[in-house]
Amino acid sequence: MLEIKNLHARVNPEEGEAKAILKGVDLTVPAGEVHAIMGPNGCGKSTLSYVLSGHNGYEVTDGSVSFLGEEIGELEPEERAAKGLFLSFQYPVEIPGVPTLTFLKEAANAQLEARGEGEISAPEFIKRARENAAKLGISNEMLKRPVNVGFSGGEKKRMEIFQAMMLEPKFLILDETDSGLDIDALRVVADGVNALRSPERSMLVITHYQRLLEYLKPDVVHVMADGRIVKTGGPELALELEAEGYEKFSGAAA
Amino acid sequence: MGVIPQLSAFEAALAASLPAGDLRSVLESGGLPHRRVEAWKWSDLRGALARAPSGAGALTVDVSRKADQIARLDHQPDLLMPRLAAGLSDGCPVYDLQDGETLSVGFEAGEGASHHIAAVNVPAGVNAILRERYHAAPGGFANIALRIVLGEGASLTRIVEQDASPDGVLVVTTGIDLAARANMHQTTLGFGAKLARLETHVSHAGEGAQLSLGGSYLVASGLHLDQTGIVQHTGPNGATHELFKGAAAKGGRGVFQGKIHVEQAAQKTDAQMNHRGLLLADGAEIHAKPELEIYADDVVCAHGNALGAVDDEALFYMRQRGLTEPRARALLTRSFLAEPLEAIEDETVRDALLARLDAALEAVS
Ligand SMILES: Nc1ncnc2c1ncn2[C@@H]1O[C@H](COP(=O)(O)OP(=O)(O)OP(=O)(O)O)[C@@H](O)[C@H]1O
Ligand SMILES: [Mg+2]
Repeated sequence: MLEIKNLHARVNPEEGEAKAILKGVDLTVPAGEVHAIMGPNGCGKSTLSYVLSGHNGYEVTDGSVSFLGEEIGELEPEERAAKGLFLSFQYPVEIPGVPTLTFLKEAANAQLEARGEGEISAPEFIKRARENAAKLGISNEMLKRPVNVGFSGGEKKRMEIFQAMMLEPKFLILDETDSGLDIDALRVVADGVNALRSPERSMLVITHYQRLLEYLKPDVVHVMADGRIVKTGGPELALELEAEGYEKFSGAAA
Repeated sequence: MGVIPQLSAFEAALAASLPAGDLRSVLESGGLPHRRVEAWKWSDLRGALARAPSGAGALTVDVSRKADQIARLDHQPDLLMPRLAAGLSDGCPVYDLQDGETLSVGFEAGEGASHHIAAVNVPAGVNAILRERYHAAPGGFANIALRIVLGEGASLTRIVEQDASPDGVLVVTTGIDLAARANMHQTTLGFGAKLARLETHVSHAGEGAQLSLGGSYLVASGLHLDQTGIVQHTGPNGATHELFKGAAAKGGRGVFQGKIHVEQAAQKTDAQMNHRGLLLADGAEIHAKPELEIYADDVVCAHGNALGAVDDEALFYMRQRGLTEPRARALLTRSFLAEPLEAIEDETVRDALLARLDAALEAVS
């Protein structure tokens, strides 16, 4: 479903020199699979998620990304979203003045329109919103608030998964969705993510902790260090990392 | 100053239409306000009118009812533009508002130069709404002066809509007097003109009067809107709250000049002034000059001014969810600009202005 080959990307800050962050990422996620990426702070995990979703603050200098058999490297973020790519942000952005449901309905319809499909009806949308919100323990009052404004860190992560459930993407990137969630919320959110698992949907789960992976049971675990995937294995790899840390992998990347 | 300027053809025609006297000689010696006059440094009226048609303009004034009387009135404040408006109008229609009344006035300036003056009285204890709408056709120039007087405990909601008027020029100067415990809420929604200036002077002479002054503006390419507000606190315990928010597209120009002057006798004044500008693209211009001048010691006064661009991270977040870039920008701009309008108490008026803002944003994006 997603095939990343030799991906190099750099950031061009307004001040200072361009800095290479991704240095040859190779990664393939077949349909229906859940892959985890673990790796030390600053190794490039969030950068990978931004580059995959088309953030214009990063410049791809080499390599390719294909999604559902199509090169997407030149597409705008909204075009990738319409194709079914969803990023649950490590730090969800606050959007004052735009109520969450208004925003989501507009996003859903924009995606449908881009795919040449008909709009979703307002009653149908509200009904689905109520059902999904109930599954995640999100109150009606929260849905009326502007997007992410005034939410706690954990509430924001919950809202990200709520948005994913509403938009029904084909591919989810979860960037540290577990950070900020309390123990009970983690289970609720993981149940929400598991409910989205299907043979046609894949996920890339970025995390530092084993606990989320215990719920999600990834098919494959990758270790990223210094802008590359340096090791790939089964779920046992996550346990090994938890016991031993990243030290030996950081060395392998250097 | 000192150098006698070469009058433009427009200024010469304007001067010729005035009787000999002080006003005419002021115009002949200084011309119309221009860049080198401090209060007009960002709004070059002289330049905007230099080649404008100078013949008598057709100004259509569409009022929801008849005036209560026609008076002869000298305009306050004593400034060139309202003096010209007074000097070149036949008489001044005066409206005495009734409790619960909404007075609506539409000004449509056709080609040529027009001048008009009107007065609105809100008697003591009366609560009313005044709605104004301004538009100038291409080649049209309207110079309008209004005088608004609120009696003790009177309350007025003033709503000013200034329609996009490319190639038209508008100057509206309003003088407002607040008696003790009067309540004035003024909100503007403006879209600019070749040059548009909405200038408001408020005098808090009575005790404990409340003023809220604010509005939203959106200036598209080639349009210029200047909102200048001068508030004088001379009586004690008054309050002034200002919130202006504006956005300029590439080639659009917004100007905010705000001054709050608190005299020594105006103890316990509460004055807050805020302006926020959003530059929608490179080549957009917003100029702001907020000023507080305070001579009383026991007051609470603050002002703020900030200019910025649309938040890139918010834009990316919205696009990641599927919104197109123009739509994401429009939503962010809308939520930014809506705030001053949302403070309008009357729901019908509020919704009408928000709907106009939405329509304008669709056109810009
Ligand atoms: N816009 C930027 N400007 C400058 N440096 C950047 C920018 N974006 C990322 N970087 C740098 O690139 C490196 C990778 O950052 P990234 O956020 O991808 O790390 P990460 O693996 O997600 O880390 P964490 O586990 O802490 O979330 C870091 O050193 C970071 O400082
Ligand atoms: Mg990160």
